[in-house]
Amino acid sequence: MSEPGVPNVSAGFPPLERMEISRINRSRTGHWTVLACALIVLLVLGAEALRWSRAAHAAARPSMGSIGPAARATLTELSHTHIPAPQGMPSAHASALTPLAGDGMLAFWWAGSRESGPDVKVFASRWHNGAWSAPWIVASRESLGKELGFGVRRIGNPVAWTDRSGKVHVYVVATGLGGWAAARIAHIVSSDSGATFAVRRVLPTSPLFNTSALVRTSPVALSDGGWWLPVYFEIGNKYPMLMAFDADGNPTSLARIGHSTSTLQPAIVPVSASEVRALMRDDSEQMRVQHASSRDGGASWKDLPALDLPNKSTSVAAIRLTSGQFLMLHNHIAAGGSDRNLLRLSISDDMRSWRTVADIAKGPAGDEFSYPTMQQVGNELHITYTWQRQNIAHHRYKITLGESI
Amino acid sequence: MTLPDLALQIVYARLGWAVVAATLVTALWRGPALTRPVLAAIMAAALVAMALPGELSPAWWLGLAFQYPSGLLVGCCALRLFERWHGIRRSRAMPHTLAGVLVVCGTLLYLDTFGLLARGFYYAGFWPVLTPLVAVLGAAACALAIVRGHARSPAAAMLGAIALFALLRLPTGNLWDAMLDPLLCGWAVFTLAASALRKSGRRATDPVAGTPESPRAPVMQPAPVEQFSSVKE
Repeated sequence: MSEPGVPNVSAGFPPLERMEISRINRSRTGHWTVLACALIVLLVLGAEALRWSRAAHAAARPSMGSIGPAARATLTELSHTHIPAPQGMPSAHASALTPLAGDGMLAFWWAGSRESGPDVKVFASRWHNGAWSAPWIVASRESLGKELGFGVRRIGNPVAWTDRSGKVHVYVVATGLGGWAAARIAHIVSSDSGATFAVRRVLPTSPLFNTSALVRTSPVALSDGGWWLPVYFEIGNKYPMLMAFDADGNPTSLARIGHSTSTLQPAIVPVSASEVRALMRDDSEQMRVQHASSRDGGASWKDLPALDLPNKSTSVAAIRLTSGQFLMLHNHIAAGGSDRNLLRLSISDDMRSWRTVADIAKGPAGDEFSYPTMQQVGNELHITYTWQRQNIAHHRYKITLGESI
Repeated sequence: MTLPDLALQIVYARLGWAVVAATLVTALWRGPALTRPVLAAIMAAALVAMALPGELSPAWWLGLAFQYPSGLLVGCCALRLFERWHGIRRSRAMPHTLAGVLVVCGTLLYLDTFGLLARGFYYAGFWPVLTPLVAVLGAAACALAIVRGHARSPAAAMLGAIALFALLRLPTGNLWDAMLDPLLCGWAVFTLAASALRKSGRRATDPVAGTPESPRAPVMQPAPVEQFSSVKE
């Protein structure tokens, strides 16, 4: 029998010749098959070898930046205000900050008629000379869908990072078919300090149609100019992950943080060049700020006992000051209060014992001051958070070293 | 971790979904016989539909729900179309061995993804040394199977998926996404379930087959046909 698709050139010949021709045909096809297979295997081998020879093989460690010897710091409030809200957008949530060259800064958040509404967009505002600019649109489901080539159903949390070359990378939650559990992460990049953005890709984070990966907390600098992006999964179980990027903003690895199935939104803080801690939102009945550590520069993680701080499934923010102390913004639960009506700033020398610095915002039960973010820019600490789901509030503190808080 | 360019992903998605959609249409076809002109028309229609701009394209909505088909799903679908084109009724696009492997791998991968195993299987699909090594060994094994004539069809589909991954890192840059997706896993489950149902149906209609202890009554067997040829080797 001749191979499918191979013309039967033996027709019309006597049986003996026909069999011989058929054998020759099979032999020829066999030779071509061997040749094609060998060529494909060689191409696969060559492509992988070339890629491997060009890749960086050492995982980058977290950058300790300009953290000096341990010193006490004093925080003095300089101002507090609301970032100008876009017109006709009554709902706002999930702010992110990233510093620009000089003392400039960009804030990103989403705003729209309501959470998950079709009109929700990611907005940005620039901090310059002590004031926020008018907001502008950074991403919408229409703009993302147009560049990605497939639909985006809803827009969620943005997270921002400025790389060494000044490019601004924003990671935006963009869902597929479904709720937040169907979320994907779109990576968009600006080369003009946030004025315009182009979609780079959707980050691959899950084999389930690449769904259920979200971002919320700030990236962390690495020693090679790259950064870590905290990510989390949330279909049913919830767990935190970490995606590493090189200095050009290309992902280099993805790993899970710990073994917990009820923690999310990890706030990553480097303790030393090898030790890193993660403080996390708790979705369990324990209702405490959850805690994990890595002693090998983020390669493997171990769950630690929860902190003695309440957390009723609310997002936390944490940074290490250049003084060496750790700051955390978290929703405290006071007697008679609710989950998110009190936003507290706490400080620690060891990330285990925390003491209160100030209550940044508080109101009666049912009020909401949530989803905090903070950045140290020079000798100033900038804090933004969701104010009553209507605005993004901004507080600015002066950091003075040498005195205790 | 090397990821594909977005432009390549967009082209792949449109072509891949066109192949998958055409296969689905031919599987569900209840019209006139699937002659080559009909098949060609279905494939052309699928390609044209996927190439439509924005929301007019089914690829827009398929991407919204499923993002990208795995390379192996596209390969198996292309194989099924090839079989239909050549009038091969008994498909070898999803043999039971392949279906079993896909179901086992899929179960482990998805349990891990849901956080129940915490082994990081999916992340291993990005590893800088192990993943390329697996891809090269996998390509060599598939090539060997094709040359030796063992399970040629699935081996060809797998070789295509690995080549697509190794050369262009499609569809996502993760080796798992090249070899498996929930739709392909569903196809594998369906194949095994249908086979199990057929077997159990045969047992139910054949009372002798279900009782191996009972002595089988002698039945008339067809005599073996002697293979002979007048031609001396």
